[in-house]
Amino acid sequence: MEGVVFWLILTLVKILVILAIVLGIGAYLTLLERKVAAHIQRRPGPMVVGWHGLLQPLADGLKLITKEDLFPRYGNRFLYNLALVMALVPAALVFAVVPFGPEFELFDVKVKPMLTDVNVGLLLVFAFGSMAVFAIALAGWASNSKYALIGSMRKAGIVVSYEVVITFAVMGPIILAGTLSTYEIVQKQIQQELWYVWLQPLAFVVYMFAMLAETGRVPFDVQEAEAELVTGFTVEYGGMKFGLFPLVEWYIEVLSLSAIAVVLFLGGWSPINIPFLGFVDPLFFLGPFSPFLWFVLKVSLLFLFVLWLHWTLPRYRIDQITETAWKVMLPITLVNIVLTAVFAPLVWE
Amino acid sequence: MPWAKAEDFRDLTQRFEGLVLEEKPSITALHVQKAKLLELLRVLKQEKGYKLFLDHSVVDFPDKDPRFQAFYVLYNVDERKRVVVKTWTEGSLPSVEGLWFAGKWAERECYDMFGIRYEGHENLVRAFMWETYQHYPLRKDFPLEGYPTEYLPSLNEVVWGESLQGLMNYDRMHTSVPTLEDLEITERKRLQKKAQIVLNWGPLHPGTHGTMWFLFDLEGERVYQCDVILGQLHRGVEKLAEHEMYNQFLVYTDRMDYLSALCSNQAWVVAVERLLGIEELVPEKAKYIRTMMAELQRINSHLLWLGTYALDLGAITVFLYAFKEREKLMDIIEGITGARLTISYTRIGGVRMDLPEGALEVIKAFVKRFPKELAEWESMLSRNRIWLRRNVGVGVISKEEVYFYGLTGPVARGSGVPYDLRKFEPYDAYGWVDFDVPVGENGDVYDRYLVRLEEMRQSLRIVEQCVSALERMPKSAPFFAESPDPKKLKLSLDGIGLKVPEGETYSSGENPRGELGFYIYSTGGVKPYRVKIRPGSMYNLCVYPKLMKDRVVADAVAILASLDPVVGEIDR
Repeated sequence: MEGVVFWLILTLVKILVILAIVLGIGAYLTLLERKVAAHIQRRPGPMVVGWHGLLQPLADGLKLITKEDLFPRYGNRFLYNLALVMALVPAALVFAVVPFGPEFELFDVKVKPMLTDVNVGLLLVFAFGSMAVFAIALAGWASNSKYALIGSMRKAGIVVSYEVVITFAVMGPIILAGTLSTYEIVQKQIQQELWYVWLQPLAFVVYMFAMLAETGRVPFDVQEAEAELVTGFTVEYGGMKFGLFPLVEWYIEVLSLSAIAVVLFLGGWSPINIPFLGFVDPLFFLGPFSPFLWFVLKVSLLFLFVLWLHWTLPRYRIDQITETAWKVMLPITLVNIVLTAVFAPLVWE
Repeated sequence: MPWAKAEDFRDLTQRFEGLVLEEKPSITALHVQKAKLLELLRVLKQEKGYKLFLDHSVVDFPDKDPRFQAFYVLYNVDERKRVVVKTWTEGSLPSVEGLWFAGKWAERECYDMFGIRYEGHENLVRAFMWETYQHYPLRKDFPLEGYPTEYLPSLNEVVWGESLQGLMNYDRMHTSVPTLEDLEITERKRLQKKAQIVLNWGPLHPGTHGTMWFLFDLEGERVYQCDVILGQLHRGVEKLAEHEMYNQFLVYTDRMDYLSALCSNQAWVVAVERLLGIEELVPEKAKYIRTMMAELQRINSHLLWLGTYALDLGAITVFLYAFKEREKLMDIIEGITGARLTISYTRIGGVRMDLPEGALEVIKAFVKRFPKELAEWESMLSRNRIWLRRNVGVGVISKEEVYFYGLTGPVARGSGVPYDLRKFEPYDAYGWVDFDVPVGENGDVYDRYLVRLEEMRQSLRIVEQCVSALERMPKSAPFFAESPDPKKLKLSLDGIGLKVPEGETYSSGENPRGELGFYIYSTGGVKPYRVKIRPGSMYNLCVYPKLMKDRVVADAVAILASLDPVVGEIDR
């Protein structure tokens, strides 16, 4: 009995910590993005609210929350609001299976720094990922606007194509690790002394592209192409409801998919890897905190890479995006799976 | 001289009975009977090589019978000659839509403004006004203040039942304005729905670069057919021109193509000078200053185009880079002329004031620095795979289409037609400076992009040469023309009392957005009798529905931005 209560409390604490971190960081990433974008564009960015605009996300949030809640005439209010929930919840749920670091002992209790280590973790990730399409389709449909509808249809088309691609892309690491559990995949990489990116460069590149497409980042941001569709499926949302969609798409989803990319390809919390030889840890002096820092570092590097692309490139057209998915990326991933299957036994030994 | 000679058309006098040839320094015109008009235009297009349609409208003479004099301005690009065809009509004309599509839009405008009926016009709807509008505004009997008939209650009265008392209660009498019902009637009349949904793209939409209203009939994302509804920015500039003195009208040219005010100023001033025949009197210094400023303005305008174009295709950073450089140019222009957007710097006979001290140094510094910036943007865009995929092969315009749709400016040059008025009929200092005219090969969006980029470089070359020419001139050199006989011709900075003798001319300048032409008909006096403005943007836009057919919505922004229309100039 006591064990169950303890487990419940532990889980609750984990949920709170993860949610707080994810949503808090999500909000502050808006500031980071604006700063990075500003410096790419040779301007200072937000400077007024707080030191170097440090309180800007709070001011933005306050502004968004206090705005009038507008609702389009002849829209479907239930679906309109449901779309918000459908967008936020699956994106946040992905973090349930993200391992932030190795198991550690706290007051004689072994704690895994992840919400739950299910043995089909990756399956969950991609199941939740495909849920995003419902949110977008609902948002476009319930808004009763042609622009929103076109935007949501575009996005749905992209998500459907890239779900296939991304699933095939992660097959490589799964074959190498022989497990679907995210925690185990990292453990395997540490045991085999090999980041899977060394053996799966193709899959990694395809994964990154698919990640950009799924999260609607440049060069795949066709669903909210300002010039054509104003802001696509969010056009009829206002206030914080409007703010939630970019928050979910651009920050929480990018974060979660980057974290999964780190887990799959970059060895999770392990330090710098020299293939088949071992690990070098320049941060050894941090002791037990070093793995966590490595994880954060890798995720932020991927996130900055996404930002860098976002503020540099123009965007593709929708037909070109889906064409790339089906005609280029899918064949590449298929070839990659075959190759992996051939040399996987070598790695297992 | 840009005008064709009367001898060129001698052989036509036998074929067309009653054809009168008129040759003056300011114009060459062929007068023909209405019945023979279409045949003459066809002969001119097919046999004489006058393939490029420039403009068409009518001049209203309420006292004469027949009442309207119609004119068609045509251009022979190969031989660099221009001719005007004229005819008289009581209220109807044959449509030239079989010969030039551009004529279709000109005729719609003429129908809208004068009520001329065009026989055989496929889609004779009003160009700028709404369908339920009763009057023809450019006719001479239309009062300048409009018809004060409509009573417009304020929102407070409608919603709250408020009745304002005392000073607040003024009679709200207005010229009639379109109501929502009017606009719906207009919308229905323009497009027969053939596909799934009709998307109202505009009038207030970030992608349309102004208040333009597009109707897309969509099948999925594919545009089945497209139509444009203009007139959201219509201010009746041509009507105003008839009631303003020549120098006073200058400020309205600023507000037409508000992104290239200096070029429009220059075009208008040169047109009036040509009509007066004082082009030679304008001092060299004024000509160099005008040319230099117009080229700076051209770079300025192209920078805005580049920025918004990149923004439309998703490259937000280039937008800010371009605007940063544009800001510097704006500062230079502000330092010299005192204004940033609506400039009115030129005057008939010169410029308003001399260059301030240090202006040339600043310009030289800009000229030195700018190519580096340009090269950096090019490295970000020109060879970018995404950029190429979005641009190459999109919106292809062939050479024949350039003539058929009356396209000018970078759009024509992108398709390989070297139609550049700065070369073809040099005005101001363009004859004295050395520059190249870039032309494209395929006529797609990418070629127009490259042409505009190269034009910026050529503009820099012109500016450089103007600067060195101006540096050689003494500080005391005159910047304003002196009238040889002040009693006959009164030239002054404010332009008051400038009387223009009877006559007419068509003169045009090379604007960043195509040829900006002015047809001025003067019956003597201080005000023009009729001014017809040829907006380059409008004729460039008329090819848009054709280019959009079977393209997706994402191409709409790319194609529209590559045509680069400015609504202030289209609607006037």
